[in-house]
Amino acid sequence: MLDHILSILIFFPALAGVFGFMIQKDSMRAYGVAVATIEFVLSLVLWYTFDNGVSGMQFMENIPLIPSFGINYILGVDGISLFIIILAAFFTMIGIASLTDTPNVKNMIITLLFLQMTMIGVFSALDAIVFYVFWELSLVPMLYIIGAWGGPMRIYASVKFFLYTFTGSLVMLVGMLFMAYFFYQATGVWSFAILDWYRLILPESFQLWLFAAFFVGFAIKVPMFPFHTWLPYAHGQAPTIGSVILAAILLKMGTYAFIRFSLPLFPDASAFFMYPIAIIAIIMIVYTAMIAYAQKDVKQVVAYSSVSHMGVIILGTFALNVEGISGSIFLMIAHGVVSGALFLLVGVIYDRRHTKMMDQFGGLAHVMPKYATIFGIMMMASVGMPLTINFVGEFLSLLGFYQQSHILTLLAGIAIIVGAIYMLAAYKKMFFGEVTIEENRNLPDVNKRELIALIPLVLITIWLGIYPKPILTPINNSVEAVVQLMHNKATSEEAKMRIPNISGVVITKTTSGEAH
Amino acid sequence: MLSPVNVSLESLNLITLAPMLIPIIGALMIIVIDLFKGGLDKTLYVVISILFLMLDFGALMDSAGVFSKDGIMLGVFNVMLIDGLAILSQFIIVLTSMLFIPLAMTNKRFHEFSYPEFFALFLFMIAGFQFMVSSDNLILIFVGLETASLALYTLIAMHNRDKSFEAAVKYFTMGALAAGLYSFGSMVFYALTGSVEINQIASVLAANDYADIAYVLVAVVFMLAAFSFKLSLVPFHTWAPDVYEGSSAAMAGYMSIVPKIAAFVVAMRLFEFLIHSGVVWLEIVLWILVVVTMTAANIWALVQTDVKRMLAYSSISHAGFVMAAILIGTTQSNSALFLYWILFSFTNLGSFSMLWMSRQKHIPNNQMSDHSYDKFAGMIKTAPVAASSMALFMLSLAGLPPFALFWGKLYLISSAVTGGYTVLALIMALNSAIAGYYYIKLIVYMFMKEPVVGNDGQIYVSNATLALKSIIGFAAVGTIFAFVLLNPLLEFITAFVYNSGY
Repeated sequence: MLDHILSILIFFPALAGVFGFMIQKDSMRAYGVAVATIEFVLSLVLWYTFDNGVSGMQFMENIPLIPSFGINYILGVDGISLFIIILAAFFTMIGIASLTDTPNVKNMIITLLFLQMTMIGVFSALDAIVFYVFWELSLVPMLYIIGAWGGPMRIYASVKFFLYTFTGSLVMLVGMLFMAYFFYQATGVWSFAILDWYRLILPESFQLWLFAAFFVGFAIKVPMFPFHTWLPYAHGQAPTIGSVILAAILLKMGTYAFIRFSLPLFPDASAFFMYPIAIIAIIMIVYTAMIAYAQKDVKQVVAYSSVSHMGVIILGTFALNVEGISGSIFLMIAHGVVSGALFLLVGVIYDRRHTKMMDQFGGLAHVMPKYATIFGIMMMASVGMPLTINFVGEFLSLLGFYQQSHILTLLAGIAIIVGAIYMLAAYKKMFFGEVTIEENRNLPDVNKRELIALIPLVLITIWLGIYPKPILTPINNSVEAVVQLMHNKATSEEAKMRIPNISGVVITKTTSGEAH
Repeated sequence: MLSPVNVSLESLNLITLAPMLIPIIGALMIIVIDLFKGGLDKTLYVVISILFLMLDFGALMDSAGVFSKDGIMLGVFNVMLIDGLAILSQFIIVLTSMLFIPLAMTNKRFHEFSYPEFFALFLFMIAGFQFMVSSDNLILIFVGLETASLALYTLIAMHNRDKSFEAAVKYFTMGALAAGLYSFGSMVFYALTGSVEINQIASVLAANDYADIAYVLVAVVFMLAAFSFKLSLVPFHTWAPDVYEGSSAAMAGYMSIVPKIAAFVVAMRLFEFLIHSGVVWLEIVLWILVVVTMTAANIWALVQTDVKRMLAYSSISHAGFVMAAILIGTTQSNSALFLYWILFSFTNLGSFSMLWMSRQKHIPNNQMSDHSYDKFAGMIKTAPVAASSMALFMLSLAGLPPFALFWGKLYLISSAVTGGYTVLALIMALNSAIAGYYYIKLIVYMFMKEPVVGNDGQIYVSNATLALKSIIGFAAVGTIFAFVLLNPLLEFITAFVYNSGY
């Protein structure tokens, strides 16, 4: 079973989704929770059997799909993707468990299960075309979730989301086809396998163009400034569950793809574009923080803060050293937990008042003390307070980039502090002061179902904030291998200088047989 | 004093005619049956057509076997040319016809199917297309083309609505113009080279090193215009949306596939040698034609209010997309053309059958036209299975993986990349993104809007019978699981195209 655990993880929810059509409407939620729990347990099994000491790919599967054109169904996980897969399974589980009364709940749960298939597929695919298949397929369930259960402008938001991402990924597809063609020219065989591509050293001029093609696809997904305009609409209109999954998992596809594709395939181009991208990332952090401060809608505040944090992740990724990249991966997970939790919390208040406008609230701390406490913890985590999960990631990301540029890191650091202002301001507006609006006096505090979703998130936030080692070690191992690969492949002077040589690291290549 | 002509029967190699003669015999048989006993039910004729098409298919299998063993076959005074292209395109023609003819078994009665002539004409048309693709003699190509087209015009007119007469006359007029242009082009080629065989034309032109390039270009212009009419490339596309709208959805779907693959094959035979011998002008004109067709048709499709017209423009855009294969002109791109068209025929079969299944005889007041977008509003609530399959076909047309057409697009764009057409590859990719919008628009109507009051979902399946449902189910399975069969298909196509020298 363990030989095919990744395939099981991918297709189990989809298959369960198909069977879901047979379930009676009222029992659907229980079915959804059961399936998602099994999936989560399976992902924990994956973690348990994962060998922390190995830096290469584990649990590899390889089935020929179109061998004459070099397309094969190749899967595998390493420290970089492992925790995002677990996060995806976890969020689908608590997302379904905390689902409030939704019309057409059956369709919603089936859609979520399909979405889970595509998410896990993206993070475990090791063939560019298989990756692309899942990457594109993930748009369809999200289109439906936003478009069918969203707010008043849901159709505009969902179509914008779809077309924006679709356009970007088609450019990326052309890049992939070029990459495969260069591989064909170099070796005489077609291959879309990422691990094959890793061995290919391209001249710098080719790298720059290919990097740009991939960048368009990834940057729209992240979303990086100036391609971020679809995100506030998508978040603003999406139902709570849609926002949670979008922020926690779907956005990570972009940043993950940078680490999986852009950095190891194009080390010279990555070093070449380091400063421009870092500057974009800093603009992202500052600019979206300022926009977030101006928002009246609390969900938009969280949405823009999400973009802002993605900027830090990008900055860490393009530090091109172990600290930065490890930090950015850790921050992906941290941001998933924290922003997912914040969107859930916004959903809690939206269910009670059917508004997200901050001027409709005030003094909620008196009425809903538990809610205010949890919101407070998550808000502190989002700001990056030490001993919370975000701090570890942000600190490592900035530490990594500090080795490349002191000035830019300083700017980013200040920007994060500025970023804290809007969060605290939003918290003040909502929770402190007197209760001014009569309706708010009798709001019920968080109920059991919501606590089931929120308490684990709080525990993770604090646990990994204090003791990040269990997940930082495997991440670190795999990242060291990536950085070493980049250093070895780099041809330009600048890239050799920017990307450190990690001497003494033993890069272990594994096959599925050795992995367990 | 004429000397007697001595031709041995063996040298004629009459077996090359077998696949075309079978549907002709079938058509005659249908007419004969009607002569003896009129007023028989359409189901009889449908099944007879399918049986003859199956025989035709068997004969094609036979030719395919001979071809893979002995290579290209010539026959009947070297007028027939059975190469890989001929066999592949005939496979597509016959298979698609086999899948489309059961669409005549509708729930409602339609005028055209009560006449046996409809089915006879249908089989004659198939024979015409088969002749067209398996010859490199410009005259025989012309004969095949006209046989098929005249039959097709009649088939459209038999739908017996005002709009279908309009459509048939429009198509006929444009077709006549194209025929005129085609014969002018052939004439100039004959004047230049003294031959109407494409390979002879090619060798004579190459022998005198394209000395009369000006005349060649004149001939090419005529030919290009003629084929652009047939393939509905912009700016010769104006007939297409009206004709699609006027003819029945089943016929429109058929028109979007079969006549075009025949025209593509002839265009491939004719333009390939010209591009490879460095007629740069043709390359530039084709490049512009391809890009304009893809882009303009996509933009027009965005503003349509009727799904059938939208699909008409989308077919124009797909034709432009595939025309790029002929421009690129490598073995990979020519194989991609066939692969794309096979996958496209599956998807279009499905989507047009869905429209056909929901054909209304009387249009309610809230609808502008028979297949307006609002008709499909909220379809997921009233007819979930139909809505999901329609969405599936739309996603496939948009090129979303892993559905059928994505693989065609992937291979075609890849052939543009390997052929050195970088900008074209990017334009092709971006056009898929533009196209995404109008396909998604239908999905938005189906999944995200509320149904019109009083719509109980019956209208979507009012025309449904078991035959129609099975065809749609077949198309849906083919669309989803295309990737399973892709590898053998690709190897088969590439071998056939490569062994024909393209």
